Amino acid sequence: MHDVLYFLQQLINGLTVGSAYALIAIGYTMVYGIIGMINFAHGEIYMIGAYISLIVITGLATLGSAWLPLVLLVALICAVIVSSSMGWAVERVAYRPVRGQHRLIPLISAIGMSIFLQNYVHLAQGSRNIGFPSLIQGGITMGAEDGFQTSISYMQITIFVVTLVCMTALSMFISKSRLGRACRAVSQDLKMSNLLGIDTNRIIAATFVIGAALAAVAGLLLGMYYGSIDPLFGFIAGLKAFTAAVLGGIGSIPGAMLGGLILGVAEAMTSGYLSGEYKDVVSFGLLILILLFRPTGLLGKPEVEKI
Amino acid sequence: MKIKLNKLVVGVSASLAMMASGVTQADIKIGIAGPMTGAVAQYGDMQFSGARMAIEQINANGGVMGEKLVAVEQDDVCDPKQAVTVANNMVNEGVRFVVGHLCSSSTQPASDIYEDEGILMVTPASTSPAITERGYELVFRTIGLDSMQGPVAGKYIASQKPERVAVIHDKQQYGEGIASAVKSTLEDDGIDVVMYEGITAGQKDFSSLVTKLKKENVDFVYYGGYHPELGLILRQAQQAKLDAKFMGPEGVGNKDINTIAGDAAEGLLVTLPPSFDEKAENKSLVDAFAKKGEDPSGPFVLTSYTAVQLIADGIEKADSKDPIDVAKALRANTFKTPIGDVAYDKNGDLKSFEFVVYEWHSDGSKTPVK
Repeated sequence: MHDVLYFLQQLINGLTVGSAYALIAIGYTMVYGIIGMINFAHGEIYMIGAYISLIVITGLATLGSAWLPLVLLVALICAVIVSSSMGWAVERVAYRPVRGQHRLIPLISAIGMSIFLQNYVHLAQGSRNIGFPSLIQGGITMGAEDGFQTSISYMQITIFVVTLVCMTALSMFISKSRLGRACRAVSQDLKMSNLLGIDTNRIIAATFVIGAALAAVAGLLLGMYYGSIDPLFGFIAGLKAFTAAVLGGIGSIPGAMLGGLILGVAEAMTSGYLSGEYKDVVSFGLLILILLFRPTGLLGKPEVEKI
Repeated sequence: MKIKLNKLVVGVSASLAMMASGVTQADIKIGIAGPMTGAVAQYGDMQFSGARMAIEQINANGGVMGEKLVAVEQDDVCDPKQAVTVANNMVNEGVRFVVGHLCSSSTQPASDIYEDEGILMVTPASTSPAITERGYELVFRTIGLDSMQGPVAGKYIASQKPERVAVIHDKQQYGEGIASAVKSTLEDDGIDVVMYEGITAGQKDFSSLVTKLKKENVDFVYYGGYHPELGLILRQAQQAKLDAKFMGPEGVGNKDINTIAGDAAEGLLVTLPPSFDEKAENKSLVDAFAKKGEDPSGPFVLTSYTAVQLIADGIEKADSKDPIDVAKALRANTFKTPIGDVAYDKNGDLKSFEFVVYEWHSDGSKTPVK
């Protein structure tokens, strides 16, 4: 019983982190799916989302607003708006002017954008770790009083639920809506859809905006869950989310979800049963292994040479 | 072609002359190298504020051998790679005395450059024994060693008779060094360490670690590392209702741990150098800091002040600005400083330095234990 509860607890830990990786991974996978480029500034968008929500939450607290759902909603809306415009700006500044050039050029300009955003927040907000209030407290506990107890906090439940809702909404949007259909068309053939009258510039900008909005949601949730933020924390999270996207098959949205969850659970199980020191070794080893046998990732479609 | 070459020579010598004229002959440059930005910048603030104060006061009292001290400040971000760049910049700036670096992992590579280039270095904060055990001539410190701090922590833990102890570290030179010193002290005292594990600096999610600590039924956790990670561990441990006492080295003892951990920081144990700012003989110095609106209570403020003062006193004693002579003078004499009487052994370590166990509170204050 003891071991089962322990396993369950590590599974919950892993799934929580994995859901967050998945939310960020969407941004990478969508941009890749549409223009075949990696948006290296995406981790920074996530970090900015967390900062904006913290600023709004602190601001509302000093104004005396205490009704929790309202505070969270306002923080979420502000973070999504600011991050989305950041996502749009990144596309406008770092991608559009160099689109159609050699593949390395947008890559470099995106890395430049990432360094710029990191240092901008450094200067504007200071380099210290800032504490993030945990607004959602409490949880459910299972197991005997005297033995090992498995607990799942309301915060973790919130992360699962929000991730699930976002993913479902996004899948519906891509498969059902007009804009979603245009997105799929652009991802299949950019030139052809341009010829057919789709405003590809608008579609590509929309992809960046949607990815950034989801990253902002992740920023708010994870800021609250971890309890502190700093200007560099987008970089590591971005790296992990990028790994998740590649693992699941870059370009595939369910793949990003699956990749995120696998990565999160693998990390939690390694720290739980082996040692925290081997966490990254195992997760990146797993990535290499999967890419050896499935070069396009778990759910990625093999690239068909377009003639 | 020949004309071009001549022009080039003229140009180079002109610019050299300009560079040389920028430095008035009668200044002694004191390099201050530490993190101005990055995760541990608040320790850097302590270092810079202490060193600047010493330079101001020494200059106000007529300088050293009639010459003024000039600060050359550089940011190493507590990053070993950046520390090497900073050390090379110091060489290029013509600095011959450096107060720094702060993080042991930065001090280590930088000290190689300083020793090779004949620059005297006094670190006010790096506690890793590896820095001075290479027998370098020009490397000194104004703080104790992990090998002194670890046993103090280990002995204290042993005296509390905990049942199951875990030792966690951040895999960096400072954190792992001190954690292994604590572990070996505990084992010498017959206390079994049930868990000894590393985490990654910069990591945010410690839920797996906390779950593991809970499963191991740990009632005492020693953490070797800095406050950003320990703050999160404390917070996540409180949320998971882990009932254990936590302890850390001076790298976790600053008020920023309270903004991260909130009230989970209450009762945290920290080994720190004694509060030099509370000593009666430092009253006027503490007032001088207060007048500038600065706080001298951080662990590295007065050690940095002392580092500058030692360099100045060493120059006076040696009656020479040659770092090698100054190093000899530092080893040969005893100096009266704000951190007490300072004397060096042949490695450049303090002959005596004391660490005290404090209990940390959720409002950022601390009270001595024992």
